[in-house]
Amino acid sequence: MIFPFEWLTAGGREVGLVVAVGVGFGFGFVLERAGFGRAQKLVAQFFGTDMTVFKVMFGAIVTAMLGAVALSGLGLMDLRAVSATATSATWIWPMIVGGLLLGAGFIVSGYCPGTSLVAAASGKIDGLATVVGVIAGTLVHAELMSRQGFRTFMDSGYLGQSYLYDLLRLPPAVVALFITLMAVGCFVGAEKLERIFAKDAAPLSPLAPRRFVFAGYGAVAAIGLAALALPASTAATPAPSGRIAAADLARRVLDEPWNVRILDVRTLDACAKARVPGTECTPVEMLKNLYLADVSPAKDLVVVADGNLAEVPAEIRSYRGKVLVLERGFEGWKDYALTAPSAPAPGAGPDELEAWRLRAGIHAAMTGVKAPPPPPMPAGGAAPAKRKAGGGGCSG
Amino acid sequence: MQRDPAKFWNPYLAGAALGLVLLGSYVVMGKGIGASGASYRLGVAALQVVAPEHVASAPGLKGAVQHGSPLDDWLVFEVLGVALGGLVGAYTSGRLSREVLRGAGVPAARRVAFALAGGVLMGVAARIARGCTSGQALTGGALMSVGSWAFMFSVFGGGYALAYFMRREWR
Repeated sequence: MIFPFEWLTAGGREVGLVVAVGVGFGFGFVLERAGFGRAQKLVAQFFGTDMTVFKVMFGAIVTAMLGAVALSGLGLMDLRAVSATATSATWIWPMIVGGLLLGAGFIVSGYCPGTSLVAAASGKIDGLATVVGVIAGTLVHAELMSRQGFRTFMDSGYLGQSYLYDLLRLPPAVVALFITLMAVGCFVGAEKLERIFAKDAAPLSPLAPRRFVFAGYGAVAAIGLAALALPASTAATPAPSGRIAAADLARRVLDEPWNVRILDVRTLDACAKARVPGTECTPVEMLKNLYLADVSPAKDLVVVADGNLAEVPAEIRSYRGKVLVLERGFEGWKDYALTAPSAPAPGAGPDELEAWRLRAGIHAAMTGVKAPPPPPMPAGGAAPAKRKAGGGGCSG
Repeated sequence: MQRDPAKFWNPYLAGAALGLVLLGSYVVMGKGIGASGASYRLGVAALQVVAPEHVASAPGLKGAVQHGSPLDDWLVFEVLGVALGGLVGAYTSGRLSREVLRGAGVPAARRVAFALAGGVLMGVAARIARGCTSGQALTGGALMSVGSWAFMFSVFGGGYALAYFMRREWR
Protein backbone atom coordinates (compact mmCIF):
# COMPACT_ATOMS: atom_id res chain seq x y z
CA MET A 1 0.00 0.00 0.00
CA ILE A 2 1.25 3.47 -0.79
CA PHE A 3 0.19 6.37 1.38
CA PRO A 4 -1.73 8.69 1.43
CA PHE A 5 -4.84 6.64 1.96
CA GLU A 6 -7.13 6.97 -1.03
CA TRP A 7 -10.20 6.23 1.04
CA LEU A 8 -9.60 9.26 3.20
CA THR A 9 -9.13 11.74 0.40
CA ALA A 10 -11.89 10.43 -1.88
CA GLY A 11 -14.58 8.88 0.28
CA GLY A 12 -14.65 8.80 4.06
CA ARG A 13 -15.12 12.58 4.32
CA GLU A 14 -16.25 12.47 7.91
CA VAL A 15 -13.22 10.45 8.96
CA GLY A 16 -11.06 12.94 7.09
CA LEU A 17 -12.52 15.87 9.00
CA VAL A 18 -11.96 14.09 12.31
CA VAL A 19 -8.34 13.51 11.25
CA ALA A 20 -8.16 17.23 10.39
CA VAL A 21 -9.17 18.18 13.92
CA GLY A 22 -6.66 15.64 15.29
CA VAL A 23 -3.78 16.98 13.20
CA GLY A 24 -4.69 20.54 14.19
CA PHE A 25 -4.80 19.53 17.84
CA GLY A 26 -1.28 18.12 17.67
CA PHE A 27 -0.10 21.24 15.86
CA GLY A 28 -1.69 23.65 18.36
CA PHE A 29 -0.54 21.67 21.39
CA VAL A 30 3.10 21.49 20.27
CA LEU A 31 3.13 25.19 19.34
CA GLU A 32 1.85 26.08 22.81
CA ARG A 33 4.42 23.85 24.52
CA ALA A 34 7.23 25.34 22.44
CA GLY A 35 6.24 28.75 23.79
CA PHE A 36 4.68 30.01 20.56
CA GLY A 37 1.58 31.30 22.30
CA ARG A 38 3.63 34.16 23.74
CA ALA A 39 4.48 37.15 21.58
CA GLN A 40 7.70 37.99 23.44
CA LYS A 41 9.10 34.51 22.86
CA LEU A 42 8.30 34.80 19.14
CA VAL A 43 9.67 38.29 18.47
CA ALA A 44 12.83 37.52 20.46
CA GLN A 45 13.83 35.65 17.30
CA PHE A 46 14.18 38.97 15.47
CA PHE A 47 16.27 40.54 18.23
CA GLY A 48 18.67 37.61 18.35
CA THR A 49 18.11 36.86 22.03
CA ASP A 50 16.15 33.63 21.66
CA MET A 51 16.31 31.54 18.49
CA THR A 52 13.53 29.15 19.52
CA VAL A 53 11.35 30.06 16.51
CA PHE A 54 14.14 29.23 14.11
CA LYS A 55 15.04 25.99 15.89
CA VAL A 56 11.49 24.69 16.13
CA MET A 57 10.56 25.69 12.59
CA PHE A 58 13.63 24.27 10.88
CA GLY A 59 13.58 21.26 13.21
CA ALA A 60 10.02 20.54 12.09
CA ILE A 61 10.88 21.04 8.43
CA VAL A 62 13.90 18.75 8.62
CA THR A 63 11.98 16.07 10.53
CA ALA A 64 9.01 16.02 8.15
CA MET A 65 11.26 16.28 5.08
CA LEU A 66 13.52 13.39 6.12
CA GLY A 67 10.50 11.33 7.10
CA ALA A 68 8.78 11.93 3.76
CA VAL A 69 11.95 11.17 1.80
CA ALA A 70 12.68 7.99 3.76
CA LEU A 71 9.09 6.72 3.52
CA SER A 72 8.94 7.33 -0.21
CA GLY A 73 12.39 5.78 -0.57
CA LEU A 74 11.03 2.62 1.02
CA GLY A 75 8.01 2.73 -1.29
CA LEU A 76 5.56 3.49 1.56
CA MET A 77 4.60 6.99 0.43
CA ASP A 78 4.47 8.69 -2.94
CA LEU A 79 6.51 11.88 -2.60
CA ARG A 80 5.31 13.38 -5.91
CA ALA A 81 1.67 12.63 -5.22
CA VAL A 82 1.79 14.11 -1.71
CA SER A 83 3.72 17.14 -2.98
CA ALA A 84 1.16 17.70 -5.71
CA THR A 85 -1.75 17.82 -3.23
CA ALA A 86 -0.02 19.38 -0.20
CA THR A 87 1.97 22.22 -1.78
CA SER A 88 0.85 25.09 -3.92
CA ALA A 89 2.50 25.86 -7.23
CA THR A 90 5.23 28.50 -7.19
CA TRP A 91 4.57 32.11 -8.17
CA ILE A 92 7.97 33.43 -7.29
CA TRP A 93 7.33 37.22 -7.15
CA PRO A 94 4.13 37.16 -5.11
CA MET A 95 5.76 34.67 -2.74
CA ILE A 96 8.79 36.89 -2.12
CA VAL A 97 6.67 40.04 -1.69
CA GLY A 98 4.14 38.17 0.47
CA GLY A 99 6.97 36.80 2.60
CA LEU A 100 8.48 40.25 3.20
CA LEU A 101 5.08 41.70 4.13
CA LEU A 102 4.29 38.76 6.38
CA GLY A 103 7.62 39.14 8.16
CA ALA A 104 6.83 42.82 8.71
CA GLY A 105 3.37 41.94 10.03
CA PHE A 106 4.96 39.32 12.30
CA ILE A 107 7.21 41.82 14.09
CA VAL A 108 4.37 44.38 14.38
CA SER A 109 1.74 41.98 15.73
CA GLY A 110 4.07 39.60 17.55
CA TYR A 111 2.50 36.50 16.02
CA CYS A 112 2.14 34.68 12.74
CA PRO A 113 -1.35 33.60 11.63
CA GLY A 114 -1.01 30.10 13.13
CA THR A 115 0.52 31.10 16.47
CA SER A 116 -2.02 33.92 16.92
CA LEU A 117 -4.70 31.22 17.09
CA VAL A 118 -2.80 29.46 19.87
CA ALA A 119 -2.35 32.75 21.72
CA ALA A 120 -6.05 33.59 21.37
CA ALA A 121 -6.99 30.10 22.60
CA SER A 122 -4.81 30.61 25.68
CA GLY A 123 -6.62 33.85 26.52
CA LYS A 124 -4.22 36.45 25.14
CA ILE A 125 -6.20 39.53 23.98
CA ASP A 126 -3.41 40.63 21.62
CA GLY A 127 -3.51 37.17 20.03
CA LEU A 128 -7.25 37.52 19.49
CA ALA A 129 -6.72 40.97 17.91
CA THR A 130 -4.23 39.42 15.49
CA VAL A 131 -6.68 36.64 14.57
CA VAL A 132 -9.34 39.25 13.79
CA GLY A 133 -6.77 41.30 11.84
CA VAL A 134 -5.71 38.31 9.72
CA ILE A 135 -9.32 37.57 8.82
CA ALA A 136 -9.85 41.22 7.85
CA GLY A 137 -6.59 41.18 5.86
CA THR A 138 -7.64 38.19 3.77
CA LEU A 139 -10.83 40.08 2.87
CA VAL A 140 -8.83 43.20 1.97
CA HIS A 141 -6.83 40.99 -0.38
CA ALA A 142 -10.04 39.57 -1.86
CA GLU A 143 -11.15 43.15 -2.68
CA LEU A 144 -7.77 43.90 -4.27
CA MET A 145 -8.37 40.91 -6.54
CA SER A 146 -11.04 42.98 -8.31
CA ARG A 147 -8.25 45.07 -9.82
CA GLN A 148 -6.77 43.82 -13.05
CA GLY A 149 -3.27 45.12 -12.28
CA PHE A 150 -3.20 43.30 -8.94
CA ARG A 151 -4.33 40.07 -10.56
CA THR A 152 -1.50 40.39 -13.07
CA PHE A 153 0.94 40.69 -10.17
CA MET A 154 -0.62 37.67 -8.44
CA ASP A 155 0.00 35.57 -11.56
CA SER A 156 3.57 36.76 -12.14
CA GLY A 157 6.62 34.51 -11.92
CA TYR A 158 4.65 31.29 -12.36
CA LEU A 159 6.89 28.22 -12.24
CA GLY A 160 4.30 25.48 -11.79
CA GLN A 161 4.85 22.82 -9.15
CA SER A 162 8.54 23.40 -8.70
CA TYR A 163 10.82 21.58 -6.24
CA LEU A 164 14.41 22.14 -5.18
CA TYR A 165 15.42 18.63 -6.29
CA ASP A 166 14.07 19.30 -9.80
CA LEU A 167 15.88 22.62 -9.90
CA LEU A 168 19.18 21.07 -8.75
CA ARG A 169 18.55 17.86 -10.71
CA LEU A 170 19.48 15.66 -7.76
CA PRO A 171 17.55 12.87 -6.03
CA PRO A 172 15.27 14.23 -3.25
CA ALA A 173 17.22 12.27 -0.61
CA VAL A 174 20.47 14.04 -1.53
CA VAL A 175 18.87 17.49 -1.40
CA ALA A 176 17.26 16.57 1.93
CA LEU A 177 20.69 15.63 3.29
CA PHE A 178 22.14 19.00 2.20
CA ILE A 179 19.27 20.88 3.84
CA THR A 180 19.69 18.84 7.03
CA LEU A 181 23.42 19.55 7.21
CA MET A 182 22.73 23.23 6.60
CA ALA A 183 20.07 23.28 9.34
CA VAL A 184 22.34 21.56 11.88
CA GLY A 185 25.09 24.05 11.07
CA CYS A 186 22.63 26.92 11.56
CA PHE A 187 21.40 25.47 14.87
CA VAL A 188 24.93 25.44 16.24
CA GLY A 189 25.48 28.97 14.92
CA ALA A 190 22.16 30.16 16.39
CA GLU A 191 23.23 29.06 19.87
CA LYS A 192 26.47 31.00 19.50
CA LEU A 193 24.44 34.09 18.52
CA GLU A 194 22.14 33.64 21.52
CA ARG A 195 25.16 33.65 23.80
CA ILE A 196 26.45 36.85 22.20
CA PHE A 197 23.16 38.79 22.18
CA ALA A 198 21.61 37.62 25.42
CA LYS A 199 24.89 37.14 27.32
CA ASP A 200 24.14 35.42 30.65
CA ALA A 201 20.40 35.41 30.13
CA ALA A 202 20.66 32.90 27.30
CA PRO A 203 18.25 30.01 27.80
CA LEU A 204 20.73 27.16 28.05
CA SER A 205 19.43 24.16 26.14
CA PRO A 206 20.65 20.91 27.63
CA LEU A 207 22.85 19.06 25.19
CA ALA A 208 21.33 15.57 25.56
CA PRO A 209 18.08 16.20 23.61
CA ARG A 210 20.00 18.05 20.93
CA ARG A 211 22.36 15.13 20.41
CA PHE A 212 19.43 12.73 20.41
CA VAL A 213 17.53 14.73 17.75
CA PHE A 214 20.60 15.24 15.55
CA ALA A 215 21.37 11.50 15.72
CA GLY A 216 17.77 10.85 14.67
CA TYR A 217 18.19 13.13 11.64
CA GLY A 218 21.33 11.23 10.66
CA ALA A 219 19.67 7.83 10.96
CA VAL A 220 16.61 8.78 8.90
CA ALA A 221 18.74 10.54 6.28
CA ALA A 222 20.82 7.37 5.98
CA ILE A 223 17.65 5.33 5.35
CA GLY A 224 16.58 7.80 2.65
CA LEU A 225 19.97 7.61 0.94
CA ALA A 226 20.21 3.82 1.22
CA ALA A 227 16.76 3.54 -0.34
CA LEU A 228 18.03 5.21 -3.50
CA ALA A 229 19.48 1.81 -4.38
CA LEU A 230 16.12 0.05 -4.00
CA PRO A 231 14.11 -0.61 -7.15
CA ALA A 232 10.80 -0.16 -5.29
CA SER A 233 11.67 3.37 -4.32
CA THR A 234 9.17 5.95 -5.52
CA ALA A 235 11.83 8.62 -5.15
CA ALA A 236 14.21 6.91 -7.54
CA THR A 237 11.72 6.46 -10.36
CA PRO A 238 10.88 9.98 -11.55
CA ALA A 239 7.13 10.22 -11.86
CA PRO A 240 4.57 7.48 -11.57
CA SER A 241 2.37 7.35 -14.64
CA GLY A 242 -1.30 7.84 -14.07
CA ARG A 243 -4.23 7.64 -16.41
CA ILE A 244 -6.44 10.43 -17.65
CA ALA A 245 -9.93 10.04 -19.07
CA ALA A 246 -10.85 11.69 -22.38
CA ALA A 247 -13.34 13.95 -20.59
CA ASP A 248 -10.67 15.25 -18.18
CA LEU A 249 -8.20 15.75 -21.00
CA ALA A 250 -10.80 17.74 -22.96
CA ARG A 251 -11.42 19.94 -19.95
CA ARG A 252 -7.72 20.57 -19.45
CA VAL A 253 -7.17 21.31 -23.15
CA LEU A 254 -9.85 24.00 -22.91
CA ASP A 255 -9.18 25.34 -19.42
CA GLU A 256 -5.42 25.24 -19.06
CA PRO A 257 -3.67 24.24 -22.28
CA TRP A 258 -0.50 25.81 -20.91
CA ASN A 259 -0.31 23.12 -18.23
CA VAL A 260 -0.45 20.08 -20.49
CA ARG A 261 1.82 18.82 -23.23
CA ILE A 262 0.25 16.14 -25.40
CA LEU A 263 2.42 13.63 -27.25
CA ASP A 264 0.83 11.35 -29.84
CA VAL A 265 2.98 8.23 -30.22
CA ARG A 266 0.95 6.66 -33.05
CA THR A 267 2.36 6.62 -36.58
CA LEU A 268 2.85 9.98 -38.26
CA ASP A 269 0.08 9.28 -40.81
CA ALA A 270 -2.51 8.44 -38.18
CA CYS A 271 -1.58 11.45 -36.12
CA ALA A 272 -1.60 13.78 -39.14
CA LYS A 273 -5.11 12.64 -40.00
CA ALA A 274 -6.75 13.28 -36.63
CA ARG A 275 -5.41 14.17 -33.23
CA VAL A 276 -6.24 15.88 -29.96
CA PRO A 277 -5.90 19.66 -30.41
CA GLY A 278 -2.48 20.98 -29.48
CA THR A 279 -0.85 17.57 -29.91
CA GLU A 280 2.73 17.02 -31.03
CA CYS A 281 2.98 14.09 -33.44
CA THR A 282 5.91 12.11 -32.04
CA PRO A 283 6.11 8.44 -33.02
CA VAL A 284 8.07 6.38 -30.49
CA GLU A 285 11.28 6.48 -32.53
CA MET A 286 11.20 10.31 -32.55
CA LEU A 287 10.83 10.69 -28.79
CA LYS A 288 14.57 10.82 -28.15
CA ASN A 289 14.74 14.10 -30.08
CA LEU A 290 12.58 15.77 -27.45
CA TYR A 291 15.13 15.40 -24.61
CA LEU A 292 12.32 14.85 -22.15
CA ALA A 293 14.75 14.15 -19.32
CA ASP A 294 16.12 17.68 -19.60
CA VAL A 295 13.07 19.86 -20.21
CA SER A 296 11.23 21.69 -17.41
CA PRO A 297 8.85 19.33 -15.59
CA ALA A 298 6.24 22.06 -15.05
CA LYS A 299 3.69 20.70 -17.54
CA ASP A 300 1.88 17.40 -17.26
CA LEU A 301 2.76 15.08 -20.12
CA VAL A 302 -0.20 13.28 -21.72
CA VAL A 303 0.57 10.26 -23.91
CA VAL A 304 -1.88 9.31 -26.66
CA ALA A 305 -1.46 5.89 -28.26
CA ASP A 306 -3.47 3.29 -30.16
CA GLY A 307 -5.77 1.96 -27.47
CA ASN A 308 -4.39 1.47 -23.99
CA LEU A 309 -0.65 1.87 -23.87
CA ALA A 310 0.89 -1.34 -22.48
CA GLU A 311 4.21 0.15 -21.49
CA VAL A 312 5.24 3.79 -21.33
CA PRO A 313 8.36 4.31 -23.51
CA ALA A 314 11.60 4.84 -21.60
CA GLU A 315 12.08 8.35 -23.03
CA ILE A 316 8.75 9.42 -21.57
CA ARG A 317 9.51 7.73 -18.25
CA SER A 318 12.65 9.86 -18.03
CA TYR A 319 10.47 13.00 -17.87
CA ARG A 320 10.74 14.49 -14.38
CA GLY A 321 7.19 15.84 -14.22
CA LYS A 322 3.86 14.06 -14.15
CA VAL A 323 3.07 11.61 -16.95
CA LEU A 324 -0.53 10.69 -17.76
CA VAL A 325 -1.70 8.09 -20.28
CA LEU A 326 -4.95 8.78 -22.13
CA GLU A 327 -7.41 6.02 -21.31
CA ARG A 328 -8.11 3.81 -24.33
CA GLY A 329 -5.77 6.04 -26.35
CA PHE A 330 -7.04 7.84 -29.41
CA GLU A 331 -10.05 5.48 -29.57
CA GLY A 332 -11.18 6.88 -26.24
CA TRP A 333 -10.83 10.43 -27.54
CA LYS A 334 -12.76 9.59 -30.73
CA ASP A 335 -15.65 8.10 -28.78
CA TYR A 336 -15.78 11.06 -26.48
CA ALA A 337 -15.03 14.09 -28.62
CA LEU A 338 -15.80 13.07 -32.18
CA THR A 339 -19.14 11.35 -31.55
CA ALA A 340 -22.19 13.54 -31.12
CA PRO A 341 -23.50 13.30 -27.55
CA SER A 342 -27.17 12.71 -26.96
CA ALA A 343 -28.88 15.57 -25.16
CA PRO A 344 -29.57 14.94 -21.46
CA ALA A 345 -33.07 14.08 -20.37
CA PRO A 346 -35.22 16.97 -19.17
CA GLY A 347 -34.74 17.61 -15.46
CA ALA A 348 -31.09 16.51 -15.48
CA GLY A 349 -28.94 17.87 -12.67
CA PRO A 350 -26.57 20.81 -13.17
CA ASP A 351 -23.53 18.52 -13.18
CA GLU A 352 -24.96 16.39 -15.96
CA LEU A 353 -25.92 19.49 -17.94
CA GLU A 354 -22.47 20.98 -17.55
CA ALA A 355 -20.82 17.74 -18.71
CA TRP A 356 -23.12 17.68 -21.71
CA ARG A 357 -22.40 21.29 -22.62
CA LEU A 358 -18.66 20.70 -22.48
CA ARG A 359 -18.94 17.59 -24.61
CA ALA A 360 -21.23 19.21 -27.15
CA GLY A 361 -18.87 22.16 -27.37
CA ILE A 362 -15.87 19.94 -27.94
CA HIS A 363 -17.74 17.88 -30.50
CA ALA A 364 -18.74 21.05 -32.37
CA ALA A 365 -15.18 22.39 -32.28
CA MET A 366 -13.65 19.11 -33.46
CA THR A 367 -16.07 18.21 -36.21
CA GLY A 368 -17.47 21.56 -37.32
CA VAL A 369 -20.98 20.27 -36.70
CA LYS A 370 -23.02 22.78 -34.75
CA ALA A 371 -24.39 21.52 -31.45
CA PRO A 372 -28.17 21.34 -31.13
CA PRO A 373 -29.62 24.19 -29.05
CA PRO A 374 -29.01 23.66 -25.35
CA PRO A 375 -31.86 22.29 -23.27
CA PRO A 376 -33.75 24.83 -21.13
CA MET A 377 -31.88 25.89 -18.01
CA PRO A 378 -33.32 24.62 -14.75
CA ALA A 379 -34.48 27.25 -12.27
CA GLY A 380 -31.50 28.75 -10.44
CA GLY A 381 -29.27 28.24 -13.43
CA ALA A 382 -26.51 25.70 -13.81
CA ALA A 383 -23.02 27.11 -13.69
CA PRO A 384 -21.68 27.24 -17.22
CA ALA A 385 -18.49 25.34 -17.87
CA LYS A 386 -15.58 27.46 -16.73
CA ARG A 387 -13.65 28.31 -19.82
CA LYS A 388 -10.83 30.64 -20.57
CA ALA A 389 -11.05 32.78 -23.66
CA GLY A 390 -9.06 31.32 -26.53
CA GLY A 391 -5.60 32.84 -26.75
CA GLY A 392 -5.01 35.35 -29.54
CA GLY A 393 -5.05 33.10 -32.57
CA CYS A 394 -4.46 34.50 -36.05
CA SER A 395 -7.55 32.96 -37.60
CA GLY A 396 -8.42 36.12 -39.48
CA MET B 1 2.40 16.95 34.92
CA GLN B 2 3.58 19.90 36.97
CA ARG B 3 2.31 23.27 35.89
CA ASP B 4 5.12 25.68 35.33
CA PRO B 5 4.24 28.66 33.09
CA ALA B 6 7.91 29.47 32.52
CA LYS B 7 8.84 25.99 31.33
CA PHE B 8 8.84 25.22 27.61
CA TRP B 9 9.77 22.11 25.68
CA ASN B 10 13.30 21.80 24.41
CA PRO B 11 13.17 23.50 20.96
CA TYR B 12 14.75 20.55 19.14
CA LEU B 13 12.30 18.07 20.65
CA ALA B 14 9.39 20.46 19.96
CA GLY B 15 10.60 20.76 16.35
CA ALA B 16 10.77 17.00 15.98
CA ALA B 17 7.26 16.65 17.47
CA LEU B 18 5.88 19.30 15.13
CA GLY B 19 7.60 17.59 12.19
CA LEU B 20 6.03 14.25 13.11
CA VAL B 21 2.56 15.85 13.24
CA LEU B 22 3.21 17.30 9.78
CA LEU B 23 4.52 13.98 8.46
CA GLY B 24 1.46 12.22 9.84
CA SER B 25 -0.73 14.70 8.00
CA TYR B 26 1.10 14.03 4.72
CA VAL B 27 0.91 10.28 5.15
CA VAL B 28 -2.71 9.98 6.20
CA MET B 29 -4.32 12.85 4.30
CA GLY B 30 -1.85 13.77 1.58
CA LYS B 31 -2.15 17.32 2.87
CA GLY B 32 -0.21 19.65 5.11
CA ILE B 33 -1.23 22.07 7.81
CA GLY B 34 -2.35 25.67 7.44
CA ALA B 35 -3.89 28.66 9.17
CA SER B 36 -4.48 31.64 6.89
CA GLY B 37 -6.62 29.63 4.44
CA ALA B 38 -9.09 28.99 7.24
CA SER B 39 -9.05 32.67 8.28
CA TYR B 40 -9.99 33.58 4.71
CA ARG B 41 -12.87 31.11 4.72
CA LEU B 42 -14.09 32.38 8.10
CA GLY B 43 -13.98 35.92 6.71
CA VAL B 44 -15.90 34.95 3.60
CA ALA B 45 -18.52 33.18 5.73
CA ALA B 46 -18.94 36.32 7.85
CA LEU B 47 -19.18 38.52 4.77
CA GLN B 48 -21.74 36.17 3.25
CA VAL B 49 -24.10 36.96 6.10
CA VAL B 50 -23.77 40.72 5.50
CA ALA B 51 -23.46 40.95 1.71
CA PRO B 52 -24.27 37.64 -0.04
CA GLU B 53 -24.55 39.20 -3.55
CA HIS B 54 -21.13 40.76 -3.26
CA VAL B 55 -19.57 37.43 -2.20
CA ALA B 56 -21.19 35.63 -5.13
CA SER B 57 -19.77 38.08 -7.68
CA ALA B 58 -16.39 39.41 -6.44
CA PRO B 59 -13.47 37.69 -8.19
CA GLY B 60 -11.54 37.29 -4.93
CA LEU B 61 -14.45 35.77 -3.03
CA LYS B 62 -16.64 33.65 -5.26
CA GLY B 63 -14.11 30.82 -5.46
CA ALA B 64 -14.69 30.02 -1.79
CA VAL B 65 -18.45 29.66 -2.15
CA GLN B 66 -18.55 27.78 -5.46
CA HIS B 67 -18.77 24.37 -3.80
CA GLY B 68 -21.25 25.07 -1.03
CA SER B 69 -20.44 26.65 2.33
CA PRO B 70 -17.05 28.34 2.61
CA LEU B 71 -16.63 26.60 5.97
CA ASP B 72 -16.92 23.11 4.49
CA ASP B 73 -13.18 22.65 4.16
CA TRP B 74 -10.39 20.54 5.67
CA LEU B 75 -8.46 23.64 6.83
CA VAL B 76 -11.37 25.01 8.85
CA PHE B 77 -11.58 21.78 10.82
CA GLU B 78 -7.82 21.66 11.18
CA VAL B 79 -7.78 25.19 12.63
CA LEU B 80 -10.55 24.21 15.05
CA GLY B 81 -8.10 21.54 16.22
CA VAL B 82 -5.29 24.10 16.52
CA ALA B 83 -7.42 26.23 18.83
CA LEU B 84 -8.39 23.18 20.93
CA GLY B 85 -4.78 22.02 21.09
CA GLY B 86 -3.64 25.49 22.11
CA LEU B 87 -6.32 25.66 24.80
CA VAL B 88 -5.44 22.27 26.28
CA GLY B 89 -1.72 23.04 26.05
CA ALA B 90 -2.18 26.39 27.81
CA TYR B 91 -4.43 24.93 30.50
CA THR B 92 -2.10 22.03 31.34
CA SER B 93 0.96 24.29 31.45
CA GLY B 94 -0.66 27.00 33.56
CA ARG B 95 -0.40 29.60 30.81
CA LEU B 96 -4.16 29.96 30.33
CA SER B 97 -4.96 33.50 31.46
CA ARG B 98 -6.70 36.57 30.10
CA GLU B 99 -4.02 39.18 29.53
CA VAL B 100 -2.35 41.42 26.96
CA LEU B 101 1.23 40.35 26.29
CA ARG B 102 3.35 43.45 25.71
CA GLY B 103 6.74 45.04 26.22
CA ALA B 104 7.43 46.88 29.46
CA GLY B 105 5.81 50.34 29.49
CA VAL B 106 3.68 49.79 26.39
CA PRO B 107 0.00 50.63 27.04
CA ALA B 108 -2.38 47.71 26.46
CA ALA B 109 -4.53 49.62 23.95
CA ARG B 110 -1.47 50.51 21.87
CA ARG B 111 -0.32 46.89 21.91
CA VAL B 112 -3.76 45.61 20.79
CA ALA B 113 -3.86 48.20 17.99
CA PHE B 114 -0.45 47.05 16.76
CA ALA B 115 -1.54 43.40 16.98
CA LEU B 116 -4.61 44.18 14.89
CA ALA B 117 -2.66 46.20 12.30
CA GLY B 118 0.03 43.52 12.02
CA GLY B 119 -2.73 40.96 11.61
CA VAL B 120 -4.29 42.84 8.70
CA LEU B 121 -0.88 43.11 7.03
CA MET B 122 -0.29 39.38 7.50
CA GLY B 123 -3.74 38.51 6.18
CA VAL B 124 -3.02 40.35 2.93
CA ALA B 125 0.52 38.94 2.78
CA ALA B 126 -0.56 35.35 3.36
CA ARG B 127 -3.09 35.54 0.54
CA ILE B 128 -0.50 37.08 -1.79
CA ALA B 129 1.95 34.27 -1.01
CA ARG B 130 -0.75 31.55 -1.19
CA GLY B 131 -0.08 30.58 2.41
CA CYS B 132 1.45 31.68 5.70
CA THR B 133 4.24 30.31 7.88
CA SER B 134 2.21 27.13 8.45
CA GLY B 135 0.75 26.41 5.04
CA GLN B 136 3.56 27.75 2.90
CA ALA B 137 6.81 27.69 4.90
CA LEU B 138 6.33 24.50 6.96
CA THR B 139 4.18 22.37 4.67
CA GLY B 140 5.85 23.37 1.40
CA GLY B 141 9.30 23.82 2.90
CA ALA B 142 9.40 20.24 4.15
CA LEU B 143 8.45 19.03 0.67
CA MET B 144 11.22 21.22 -0.80
CA SER B 145 8.93 23.47 -2.85
CA VAL B 146 10.91 26.31 -4.47
CA GLY B 147 8.26 28.96 -3.70
CA SER B 148 8.03 27.92 -0.05
CA TRP B 149 11.76 28.37 0.48
CA ALA B 150 11.73 31.77 -1.24
CA PHE B 151 8.80 32.73 1.00
CA MET B 152 10.51 31.52 4.17
CA PHE B 153 13.69 33.51 3.60
CA SER B 154 11.55 36.56 2.76
CA VAL B 155 9.64 36.24 6.05
CA PHE B 156 12.86 36.30 8.04
CA GLY B 157 14.13 39.13 5.81
CA GLY B 158 10.99 41.23 6.40
CA GLY B 159 11.08 40.58 10.15
CA TYR B 160 14.74 41.46 10.59
CA ALA B 161 14.41 44.54 8.38
CA LEU B 162 11.69 46.01 10.58
CA ALA B 163 12.90 44.70 13.94
CA TYR B 164 15.10 47.71 14.66
CA PHE B 165 12.20 50.15 14.25
CA MET B 166 9.91 48.05 16.42
CA ARG B 167 12.36 47.52 19.28
CA ARG B 168 10.64 49.99 21.64
CA GLU B 169 7.38 48.05 21.38
CA TRP B 170 8.98 44.94 22.77
CA ARG B 171 11.50 46.07 25.38
